[in-house]
Amino acid sequence: MGTENEDEFERELRQAFARRPAPPSLKRKLMERGVLKMKRAAPAERSFVPWQRLAASVAIAAVLAGGIEWHSLDQRRKEEAAREQVFLALRITSHALDQMNARLAAHHRGGQDSQY
Amino acid sequence: MQNRILPLIFTAVALTLPALAQSDPLPPTSALEKQLASRASDVTEVTLSKNMLAFAAKIMNGKDKDDAATRQLIEGLDGIYVRDYEFDKAGEFSAEDVDQLRKQFETAEWSSLVKERERKTGESTDIMVKLVNGESHGMFILDVEPKELTIVLILGPIKMEDLGKLKGIGGLSALGDVAINVKEKDKEKSKDKKGGDQ
Repeated sequence: MGTENEDEFERELRQAFARRPAPPSLKRKLMERGVLKMKRAAPAERSFVPWQRLAASVAIAAVLAGGIEWHSLDQRRKEEAAREQVFLALRITSHALDQMNARLAAHHRGGQDSQY
Repeated sequence: MQNRILPLIFTAVALTLPALAQSDPLPPTSALEKQLASRASDVTEVTLSKNMLAFAAKIMNGKDKDDAATRQLIEGLDGIYVRDYEFDKAGEFSAEDVDQLRKQFETAEWSSLVKERERKTGESTDIMVKLVNGESHGMFILDVEPKELTIVLILGPIKMEDLGKLKGIGGLSALGDVAINVKEKDKEKSKDKKGGDQ
């Protein structure tokens, strides 16, 4: 008894799960109800993706350009600092030589001994 | 495998070390200089390696006459080393300290261009040049004042005509005079050499 009921249930279940082709009128019915319209509207949503990509590309390009500009400015600042160091070194050298020249001039005036 | 890698590493290190040593011929700051710096009230230290000079030369374009003249001078140099110590009072360094600094360049390859001493005050100036085949390949200046000590070391081929061009730049007039002195010294050396050969 129990086995017959189980067989019956299994048969109903198999029928319920069996794959059947959709009736030809189903598409029309769904179109009428607007279910498929929503699906067709989906590509319109997808059209935002290129904009997002474009925005992301612009943002990346801006970051890269900013980075390059910053690097260029930093490089320029370092070059300027190096240039200043060169002039400082040459000024100190010139100052030392000026002092020597002044002393030598004083020696010549005073007639003191110096090797030159 | 390890036996093969180790000799390779040693070879790479052996090849790299001389190259590194050549790239920076400037001397490291000596212990004496560190002592002087600790006693000084004002210290100016400038160390410019060949790379740094090349870096600075990049910004010195031909538009500015002074920059162009300086660029010509520094482009071929191996380095510039400047130390300037100013002291609050006299006697912060001894004559022995000065001798120690001077002795580093009292070698055969360096010739004395100017040697000036003032006995009363202890002031002195030494200018030494490294002449190689009649060309200046280095210059050492040691200027001693009672309250100031200046060390300048310029390494590399120094073109005297380029040094002379700096005479017009504000604060660098004395460099042009050195150019004249070095040329005279070079002539003297050439005469001595010719006299010695005869």
